[in-house]
Amino acid sequence: MPVITVSQINRYLGFVLKGDKNLQGIMIKGEISNCVRHYRSGHIYFTLKDDNSAVKAVMFAQAASRLKFEPEDGMSVIVSGSIGVYERDGVYQIYANDIVPDGAGAVNAALEQLKKKLAAEGIFAQDHKRPLPLMPRKIGVVTSLDGAAVRDIINVLSRRYPIGSIYAVNALVQGEGAPDSVCRGILKAESAGCDVIIVGRGGGSSEDLGAFNTEKVAYAIYNCKVPVISAVGHETDFTIADLAADMRAPTPSVAAEIAAPSTDTLYERIDALTRRAENSVSARLERARDRLASLNVRLTGQSPENRLKLSSNRIENYTERNKLAFSRYIERLDSKLCQNTARLESLSPLKVLSRGYSLVYSGDKLLGSSEDISEGDRVKIRFGDGGAEAEIIDKW
Amino acid sequence: MINGEIMEEKVTFEENLERLGKIVSELEKGDIPLEKAVELYGEGVKLSAMCRKQLDEAQIKIEEDKGA
Repeated sequence: MPVITVSQINRYLGFVLKGDKNLQGIMIKGEISNCVRHYRSGHIYFTLKDDNSAVKAVMFAQAASRLKFEPEDGMSVIVSGSIGVYERDGVYQIYANDIVPDGAGAVNAALEQLKKKLAAEGIFAQDHKRPLPLMPRKIGVVTSLDGAAVRDIINVLSRRYPIGSIYAVNALVQGEGAPDSVCRGILKAESAGCDVIIVGRGGGSSEDLGAFNTEKVAYAIYNCKVPVISAVGHETDFTIADLAADMRAPTPSVAAEIAAPSTDTLYERIDALTRRAENSVSARLERARDRLASLNVRLTGQSPENRLKLSSNRIENYTERNKLAFSRYIERLDSKLCQNTARLESLSPLKVLSRGYSLVYSGDKLLGSSEDISEGDRVKIRFGDGGAEAEIIDKW
Repeated sequence: MINGEIMEEKVTFEENLERLGKIVSELEKGDIPLEKAVELYGEGVKLSAMCRKQLDEAQIKIEEDKGA
């Protein structure tokens, strides 16, 4: 019996396993444990186990980069791949090409994980959400042209917003090629010049919404240059497309209503603008009229006739004032005269004479001193009420 | 411009409505000369009628792209 080496036996076992169709291209179900992603190479190493058994597994970086979620310990998954031998350690392991979550819980966990990742990347950020155009010219619709969604949207828009136009791009909304098809549809609608795009489908089960829960579609919506309305047609579940979209509508019909205003509101807007124009013009005219009226009043005030009247008024006024002043002046003089007369009277020599004094004249000369007369002179004596002639008999 | 109607056809509803809005804001400023105000008002009335007509006669345009 020939002697062989460890390497030879391990390599041989590798050949054996590779040749066994039952071990190649198979799917194995289990729970992930001891999961490690080698940070430099990007390879993922883990153990797949069930209640009784475990097997080592490796997923190389290239396959790992295509994963739609991050494998974590405790996740139920289905691993696709082949069984091979790791010759160095003499162990067999699964070489995995793909891992998908197994069961609703795991699918949801993976979805939550993707949501968390995209949220961290800012795909759902509120400040990235763009306002919808008030009056879109061209509304893009990316959905299956055979589905009910596009008919609903066309119906609503024909009725509410006939002024617009619709650019409907056919897209696969479920199945393998759906995410790529939806992404291409968004790009087409964008380059066709749409100013808002509705992306969606008319309902379906949670699994049927898969395309709208992909990273690809989320990024296509996020990177779209015009606002995107999601209409995935599922009242309760928020898909990743809903979260990435600028606006979410529960149904395609509602999406159409959100995308464009109703012509009723446009008629109202025209009416309101027309009324405002009327109001401001009539207010402007009113102001002009008022100004004219007030200028007219001032102008009439300055007419020659009026100025003349004004002047004669003024003259009359002055005359009146003059008269008044004059009569006051006369009155004043009058009263002064009265006073003076009274004073004069009180100073009159006759008045003095009436008090017992007398004036003595020699001829016409009033005698002020006894020096002026001599004994024998004849003098006249003036009393208050009459006179007498006298002879000087003696002097002293 | 060959005649008014050709121009009318070319100007979209949105452009007409936007111009109407601008005219109203201009009028509401109030400091424009009366003559200009009356002129703008006349234009506004025409635009308003044109907008209504465009809405009355609007017919939605649908373009389909089969392949994606």
